[in-house]
Amino acid sequence: MSDRSLTQTEVSLNPLSSERVNITIDGISLSVPKGENVIEAALNAGIDIPYFCYHPRLSKGDAANCRMCLVEVASTAPDGSVRKMPKPQTACTLPAAEGMIIDTNTEKINKDRKGVLEFLLINHPLDCPVCDRGGECPLQNNTLYYGASASRFTEEKRHYPKAYPLSAQVVLDRERCIQCARCTRFTDDISGDAQLGLLKRGSDVEVGTFAHTSFNSKFSGNVIELCPVGALTSRTYRFKSRPWDLMTQKSICSKCSNGCNIKLDYRMDEVLRVNARLNEDVNEEWTCDRGKFGHDYISSPDRLKSPLMRKDGKFVEVSWHQAYSLLADKLRAAGTNCGAIAGGRTTNESVYLLQKLFREILGSNNLDCRLDSNPLPASDPLFKKSLQTGMGNKIADLEKMKTIMVIGSDLQDEQPILFLRVRKAWRFKGAKVVYVSDHLTTDSTAVSDFASVNLIYQPGSEITVLKDLENALARVLSANTADSEPPAQLNTQPSEATGLSNNDIHLAASLLAKGEITIIAGKSVSQHSQYVELYQSLTNLLASTNSEGNLNIPVHECNSLGTMDMGMLPGSGPGFTKCAGGMGTAEMLQASADGNLQVLWVMGADPVQNFHNNELAVRGIENCPFLVVSELTLTETAKRADLVLPAVSIAEQEGTFTSCEGRVQKLFKAFEPVGSSKPDWLIVAELSAILGAKNLYFTFNDVLQSISKEVPGYEKINPGTIGDQGIFRTVPAAG
Amino acid sequence: MIQNGINTLADSYITHPVAQPEDKMQFSEEAVAELEEIISHYPERKAACLPALWIAQREYGGHLTPAAIREVATRLGTSQTEVEGVATFYTMYNLRPRGRHHLEVCTCLTCAVMGAYDVVHALEHALDISIGETTADGEFTLSEAECLNYCGNATVVQVGDHYFPDISPSNCLNLVEELRKSEKYTPALLADSLVKIQTPGASLKGGGSFKAEEI
Repeated sequence: MSDRSLTQTEVSLNPLSSERVNITIDGISLSVPKGENVIEAALNAGIDIPYFCYHPRLSKGDAANCRMCLVEVASTAPDGSVRKMPKPQTACTLPAAEGMIIDTNTEKINKDRKGVLEFLLINHPLDCPVCDRGGECPLQNNTLYYGASASRFTEEKRHYPKAYPLSAQVVLDRERCIQCARCTRFTDDISGDAQLGLLKRGSDVEVGTFAHTSFNSKFSGNVIELCPVGALTSRTYRFKSRPWDLMTQKSICSKCSNGCNIKLDYRMDEVLRVNARLNEDVNEEWTCDRGKFGHDYISSPDRLKSPLMRKDGKFVEVSWHQAYSLLADKLRAAGTNCGAIAGGRTTNESVYLLQKLFREILGSNNLDCRLDSNPLPASDPLFKKSLQTGMGNKIADLEKMKTIMVIGSDLQDEQPILFLRVRKAWRFKGAKVVYVSDHLTTDSTAVSDFASVNLIYQPGSEITVLKDLENALARVLSANTADSEPPAQLNTQPSEATGLSNNDIHLAASLLAKGEITIIAGKSVSQHSQYVELYQSLTNLLASTNSEGNLNIPVHECNSLGTMDMGMLPGSGPGFTKCAGGMGTAEMLQASADGNLQVLWVMGADPVQNFHNNELAVRGIENCPFLVVSELTLTETAKRADLVLPAVSIAEQEGTFTSCEGRVQKLFKAFEPVGSSKPDWLIVAELSAILGAKNLYFTFNDVLQSISKEVPGYEKINPGTIGDQGIFRTVPAAG
Repeated sequence: MIQNGINTLADSYITHPVAQPEDKMQFSEEAVAELEEIISHYPERKAACLPALWIAQREYGGHLTPAAIREVATRLGTSQTEVEGVATFYTMYNLRPRGRHHLEVCTCLTCAVMGAYDVVHALEHALDISIGETTADGEFTLSEAECLNYCGNATVVQVGDHYFPDISPSNCLNLVEELRKSEKYTPALLADSLVKIQTPGASLKGGGSFKAEEI
């Protein structure tokens, strides 16, 4: 049986066997791990081998479609003579073996490459001048370096209708396709929806979906970047620009808490596309579709361009001076009778200065960042210990686990990059997965597809399920029967309370009993009214398998964690320090509804849309004596404000986000803010100065340095150390 | 199919199977038993893709509809796109409805030398269709086939499970008339012999003369 029939490959993506072999590539002697593909050995040593279908993150053995990486291979016979293999070999599927002598640059190989490229170009339309890929196209580059200058093919090329819509986002041009199967292997190996396949045969081969259904993968955008030609293109970017006309800036995706590293490709002040930026520890080189196609808000025409003040029931544009004067007057008049709500979408710097303004200058402790229903008050020690600290594991460490339990989460939707890691752990690292939820999704890919045991319980019985699981685990561990048959008293009869049979529970417990487990808990756990009991059960499961600390309850917005770290919680100052308590979101909205809160500042949040108690949110926001909202566009909350301050997007400011795993990463500024909009931190800094702040901040670096000095856990983070890939903040002991 | 409890697919399949709903499954009990028997010969279910498609072609009345492909994917626990890739790769799976009798004339070297194209043209003329087409009454589909490995009795025509050797422009019309009398639907027959790996039967004898009951 070949490797490709193994579904859970025992070999990792980088099979770094401890055994090493000596090979020679182009006369350079190398010592490489046994079994490493020749192409990897060569590329690591800086020797160029052209390729199209090979990709280090896709499973090996399925490649060798494109024939571009041909090399000559020889070995030394016992009599000392060097004997060549009669035909060239594909370096992408050839494992390195002792004594291999490889030539990548012989006359024969160059002739072969010319031939391969001539074949690949037979049906390729050569419409580079109008192709999105032109200028950054591997086919173009390899043809330039290795191809012939002309083709001998004079016959009719194959023709298909252009712009075949695979999905709402991805457009296929079958004429350009060279059948490398990277996209189809991506949907098999990485995203798991397996929606793309190669259909038909010979020169008719085309990429397609089953019966022309829509390619509705949650990760479909990645195939656009994977495609080594311009066959798969993005509907939004199509024909918008040439790559050499684009500027690129490093950034962090703001669509969820995973903190994907991205590149913003922009022209003037318009973001035209988003590509993934390599970060091995976070998103590797993937993005989800929300991140890849969801950044049109940055260059939206709806963006606010100047401060808006309500006069006679209507918004009028005013200068920043007028806006600051009004706000300063209102805040002075309100005294401590004011409050602020910041969403999880603002930078650490903005939130840090906002809480400083309220706590130190205005003397108000009414600060909160939580819009979700929360089972625990922010002052509860358990809140600090679990929900405020972030994940127990780092994202990259998830793939080292033997068993991964996902509970109460549609992971592919809530935490797409965590989902890809969990799938990678299962697919390439041999991990087993237990999925616990009250429903199965109809999404094109889900944890339940590859979980060894799915425990789909009756809604509301989660406490019982976890208790059952705890007991079963204790029984398995005490009997040491992890691998044995279930005891006789177990049956497959589903229990009435939970809908699960104790046989299934036993199988799940047997997997957990193998140790090295990690648990990822989703929204339905962290927002559960009996969170304390669930948390206790989960920690018990971990404790009994010596896996303490491997509990991951990821937050949901791009800077939810940083906002809490910066002290945007009632009674919890920067870095979890204790401070005087104040009102939380719900209390503030209630007080505002009752007319008891003079000024409410909502920064980067939309309580009217997103607060769990919509009725209270609308009442609080509409009745607020003076509501100031800093936002990008006129959200439902901003429409009801007395003063709207235009803030800027991730592309127009420097700033830091703290991802769900506690990695502090930097946003780099791509272009100038639209209109007269300003970064939130600058708005707060300028207002603080007007209100008499002692410390003045003029640049992003000033604020970050101040955070580094004053926020426990952020000591190591300063403009000099943060770099492109971010660094971890430490979790201070709860106090 | 992903459901509650132990997921037998987890260790065996790499992809996300989009399941055919239980009530839309069309395989008969015998077909399911036959498929399971074939699957038992292989280390993993998806290896039985080719015979499974033959069975599907038979069970779905002679050609593979999207529903047939989805049922195969569901029964093998693999992705429907992959099964469609297989079904569209091989020319002997019918993706469109065929006539009641599918005439496949071998036009490879030996048969061609022995006048296969004369047979093709005679059939085209007699049935008033071209290669690849089906007659208006739905009785016959005519296609070319690659070498049917019966060169000793060229030209050979395959109809369903049966080979008809020594066909010439004159006796091919006789074959057509005999086939008209047969009640059967030959494209759906094909799986019988191939799946059960029988050798073609009586029709190989007595070249050139046909009886309806043979077919």
